[in-house]
Amino acid sequence: MNDPGETWTTLEPTVHQRRRIDAHVAAWLEARDTPLAAEWLGLLRAEPFSAVGLLAASAASLAAATPAIWLARALI
Amino acid sequence: MIAAATPDGVALSPLASLFAVFTLPHDGDAVPVGALAEEAIARLVVQARAGDTNARQALYLQHVDRVFRAVRGMLRSDADAEDVTQDAMLTVLSSLHKYRPRPDARFAAWVTTIALNTARRRFRRRRPELTATGELPDMPDAGVDPVEALDRARRRRALLVALAELPEREREIVSLRYGAELNASDIGAALGVEPATIRKMLERARIRLGARLDELLGGEGGTR
Repeated sequence: MNDPGETWTTLEPTVHQRRRIDAHVAAWLEARDTPLAAEWLGLLRAEPFSAVGLLAASAASLAAATPAIWLARALI
Repeated sequence: MIAAATPDGVALSPLASLFAVFTLPHDGDAVPVGALAEEAIARLVVQARAGDTNARQALYLQHVDRVFRAVRGMLRSDADAEDVTQDAMLTVLSSLHKYRPRPDARFAAWVTTIALNTARRRFRRRRPELTATGELPDMPDAGVDPVEALDRARRRRALLVALAELPEREREIVSLRYGAELNASDIGAALGVEPATIRKMLERARIRLGARLDELLGGEGGTR
């Protein structure tokens, strides 16, 4: 009789599958381990103009959000 | 930060590259990671909790293939198994502080319980198609003899067909036994069932699975 235990070895992940799993897990762990300030610093170094633009957009949206929320509450 | 690219287009971060170097030599064959004793695993858990990334990697390498093999037996596609393995390993590595060692259950049983719960959530979200047997693996590994690869693919397909015909509980039990290599006590702890009951169910499932494999493979037990 075929032994299920022996046949089960065919369910091992392929090298490509393992690489994909490793890459996703490592990327997630790296993101979790990297402080936000370090992320911003890295972005500033790699893409200074984009980083400044992103910062400005974030600040603008934060500034706009407060009165928008206040207005929405007042209307509700 | 510059990411390395793999041949299949997945960008690798430096940490991922480290994993890749650790596990995948240039000839493309995965290096089998030797199983560690439970005491060594317990030490790694303590070190990983304290922030030791090498210990965390070692725990990952010890369990990732085991988790994949187990969930692949429960789920209907390689893609689902990859997703569940990633989610489960992330949950394990980010929940180490919640792990409480028990004398009657190994660390692998805790890891597998997390994988089982992740797989069940996936199973509930997406109903499996009745006849699905899993797609073919994306690419054969480099350096594998084509005849052997074909035989392996045939046996793999037969196993997936036979597994798809088992009731869900039996499929879980055999997956935990043969995929995760848990014993009856570990499986009992993971499923909340007495080990004696697990042994009976396991024996029944093993016979049924073996007989079905014989039908599908022509009774050529032991061929490789």
